[in-house]
Amino acid sequence: MVCIRRATVDDLLAMQACNLMCLPENYQMKYYLYHILSWPQLLYVAEDYNGRIVGYVLAKMDEESNECHGHITSLAVLRTHRKLGLATKLMTAAQSAMEQVYEAEYVSLHVRRSNRAAFHLYTETLGYKIHDVEAKYYADGEDAYDMRKYFKGKQNHQQSHGHHHHHHHGGGCCSGDAVDTTPAEDAIATTSK
Amino acid sequence: MYKLAGEERFLLWAVCSIQLQVLCDKSGEKLLLLAEGLLKKHIASHSMHEPEALMVYISLLEQQSKYNDALEVLSGNLGSLLVIEVDKLRIQGRLLARARDYAAAVDVYKKILELSPDDWECFLQYLGCLFEDDSMWKYFDDTDQIHPTKNIECKFSHLTEEMFDSRISSASELVQKLQRDTENSNLRGPHLAEIEIEKRKFLYGKKNDSELLKSLLQYFLKFGHLACYASDVEAFLQVLPPHKMAEFVGMLVENADSVSASATTVLGQTTTILKVQELTGNVFELPLGEIEASAVKLAKLYCQNLPLSKDLDPQESMFGEELLSLISNMLVQLYWRTRDFCYLAEAIMVLELGLSIRGHVWQYKILLLHIYSYIGALPLAFERYKALDVKNILTETVSHHILCQMLESPMWVDLNNLLQDYLKFMDDHLKESADLTFLAYRHRNYSKVIEFVLFKQRLQQSNQYEAARVEASLLQLKQNADSIEEEERVLENLKSGVQLVELSNEMGSRTLRFNEDMQTRPWWTPCPEKNYLLGSFEDFSYCPKENVNKDREENVKRSIQRKSLLPRMVYLSIQCSATALKESLETKGSGGDLKTCEELKSLLEEYTKTLGSSFSDAVEMITEISQGARTFETLGSDLVDWLNFAVFWNAWSLSSQEHWHVLNLLFERLILDRIKSMGSSQMNSCYSDVQVLVQIITEPLAWHSLVIQACTRSSLPSGKKKKKAQHSDHLPSSPMSQAIKDSIHSLCSTVQEVSNWLLNQINNPEDDQVERFLTTLKRNEGPGQVLGVLESFIASSEESEVGSRIFESLKTWSKADSARKTVTAQQRVLREFHQICGSKRKLLEKLKQQMSHV
Repeated sequence: MVCIRRATVDDLLAMQACNLMCLPENYQMKYYLYHILSWPQLLYVAEDYNGRIVGYVLAKMDEESNECHGHITSLAVLRTHRKLGLATKLMTAAQSAMEQVYEAEYVSLHVRRSNRAAFHLYTETLGYKIHDVEAKYYADGEDAYDMRKYFKGKQNHQQSHGHHHHHHHGGGCCSGDAVDTTPAEDAIATTSK
Repeated sequence: MYKLAGEERFLLWAVCSIQLQVLCDKSGEKLLLLAEGLLKKHIASHSMHEPEALMVYISLLEQQSKYNDALEVLSGNLGSLLVIEVDKLRIQGRLLARARDYAAAVDVYKKILELSPDDWECFLQYLGCLFEDDSMWKYFDDTDQIHPTKNIECKFSHLTEEMFDSRISSASELVQKLQRDTENSNLRGPHLAEIEIEKRKFLYGKKNDSELLKSLLQYFLKFGHLACYASDVEAFLQVLPPHKMAEFVGMLVENADSVSASATTVLGQTTTILKVQELTGNVFELPLGEIEASAVKLAKLYCQNLPLSKDLDPQESMFGEELLSLISNMLVQLYWRTRDFCYLAEAIMVLELGLSIRGHVWQYKILLLHIYSYIGALPLAFERYKALDVKNILTETVSHHILCQMLESPMWVDLNNLLQDYLKFMDDHLKESADLTFLAYRHRNYSKVIEFVLFKQRLQQSNQYEAARVEASLLQLKQNADSIEEEERVLENLKSGVQLVELSNEMGSRTLRFNEDMQTRPWWTPCPEKNYLLGSFEDFSYCPKENVNKDREENVKRSIQRKSLLPRMVYLSIQCSATALKESLETKGSGGDLKTCEELKSLLEEYTKTLGSSFSDAVEMITEISQGARTFETLGSDLVDWLNFAVFWNAWSLSSQEHWHVLNLLFERLILDRIKSMGSSQMNSCYSDVQVLVQIITEPLAWHSLVIQACTRSSLPSGKKKKKAQHSDHLPSSPMSQAIKDSIHSLCSTVQEVSNWLLNQINNPEDDQVERFLTTLKRNEGPGQVLGVLESFIASSEESEVGSRIFESLKTWSKADSARKTVTAQQRVLREFHQICGSKRKLLEKLKQQMSHV
């Protein structure tokens, strides 16, 4: 596990450096900030023995549907630190915070069709199921699997509802005032892809 | 609002604001007491409902060092607001430790370790508390670097030997228990903890070095095949004396499993040993032949193992990927020690081949970027940099790789984009931060409000941000210096440089933050200001890359201070010059407006201070250098800054012919000397000289030609006063106009020399240069062997063996392509520079003509 701990705002510097080293996706900084300032309980970093950030998970709460659910936005582990179980630990930490702190029903995520290693992790190790396929989800035209995992005792709640191609950020369920959406937040919400 | 609505959040807004005020101003601690009172009252009447509110309450108490009060709150009813047990324990442990209740803290940390045996931070805190050592907080509180320092100070002096022994043995017991409990998992923490214990014993003076080495070896046998082994043990190795480190490398080689293990284990262990050799500096002590043989061996290993990666997804890391970086590091070292360019060319080929097989490997891109920069193939370096896809906050942490080289290059368009992108990101972020702060408030994440505001401050105080703002202004001045009218417009937009002077004055008392990630830099340039390849191997002593920022602060501050004076000095010089010639023609006065002159003088004094000299010493220095009484090596790396000084000093005292003469001689000597030393060498070996020339021509020489432009303009007839102008034709030439003419003449011929040198290089047919590049690689012995191994593998590889994707990239890669790209990039730099020189010469010719009327 190394040290899996909550991310701080300062960690953003090292987290984006992680991105340079392992992900082609590179979100705008305000998107990271949007996550950490809105749902700080859902961001975890893996800190290695010498204090270096070697992985992170970025997640948020979504209230698109009737069900309060979490969404994994991004998961990254440095190439030098793969196959050590870090991704599993990071995912488990974020998922259990979704369940315990925000009482989420389920958690969703998108994964590239070609990313076999990640797909294997989500289905085999973490118990996600394919919910849908979103055609040309990624900027380079690749399809994404829309995957879900229902939390314990909540499997029966599965309802059908339209799938969506964009992230939308409302006030966030269980996260404070879900009533007003300020222009500031709208501005941030447009950066999600 | 709290009074009106009675809502918890409004109260917490107020409390947070107070905390921020105290944190940022480092004053007003009494306010904290007020905030505490407000919260207490609220809890008494309404209790508390949100975990974040509790966190604020605790941090408020902590900020006032009321640790016991905070502990009481945490263990009371409110404590149940924190639902995740480990989180609660961590806070508890920290508070106990801060309250110096070490025995209780040790128990809490033990509990956490039993819950999560791999929590390294917790283990260190456990040890800290066990040894009653509060120096560990320095380590955890130091957030100034992206990657915290690896060496944790340990204090033992307050412990008797007996106390130390009993405590270390209880730590050992705990670690053994953790190891037993996690026997079947691949957790590294409990094993690393064992090494940490040996290290502490060693630091205490137990002379247990062989146990320490043994524990490191044990760790190697378990985890040596993993890519993280070297960075895991780095901090432990650094406490050892050099001969012990070398001994350890020997132990690794001896014990590496080459018989029974799988191919991936052998590959992993071999890579690890080399990485350990690199980070201990051991690799710099090996004889040349050994390094070369080792590089060849690695190349073979890389080829042998390519089939392992046959079925991997393109985004997955390849087996042996790191070998190519290691090989290239060795080749660069071989180049450094022998100055045989072939090694460098080989390194380029190795990395380019690597990139063609796996396009995403950032290490290859960064290494190439720096090699290309060194040999003056800057456009290609910039291309590799762009391929890193640096944006957003990475512009703050990663752009140091290229920024410095670009600032000293003639590639102004790319430089401008680089600076503008970076400044835009920073400005936008600072603009948006109010909204983001509000977002955190709205989500009631009060602790994040505080973190975020401090983060914003961290970016605002970035040394790079300050420097980039100054450089962006200077770039505009450089780009427009050939037309005094354009330059005056730029200066007007810069408020005549006044604001930058203010920045310079404030710099001394400012806090600068260093957010750059230096760990990604190659060994030969651990920070932008250092490049070992420019010096000789004999003068080198290996030092780990860590904490390189600490030495930088003074230099960076001084450089910003110095550079931010330049725009104002340019402005004042133009003002001084505007009236000088006319006055000298009419009254033979000293020239210039008195107030302007005084201001320029005081700035010159400031400027010399940043060069570590007084005004009079500085004048003496440049005078002696111009006369050849001192060599220009005395100026060191500040050469361009000294020349700038000379230019403005002359502008301040234009009526002195002697000063003009000193300046002319300085330009001649410094420029011609460079040209002479470069001779007909290739760019590959003399780019650093070219860089200096670029700077001289585009800065001091440009400023001086502005001074001349200002002088001549004042003597010129403006359209309406043609008559008067004709009259001036008949004026006898004054000593000053003669000085100007001489200076123009001298500059003209000096710039011509630079142009000639450049033309000579440019006219060298590209095909010939490519051919020469390639022939350096074709040798039967010595350099070239690594590439030989790779090439023969490419020739013999089969699709069925390595898979279609790798096969394809092996077959499409071309050595000649890489060579041509390098040569073309070098040529482009030379052409850009030649163009700048051309336009300077044109300007000088024009001025010569104008002056012929005076």
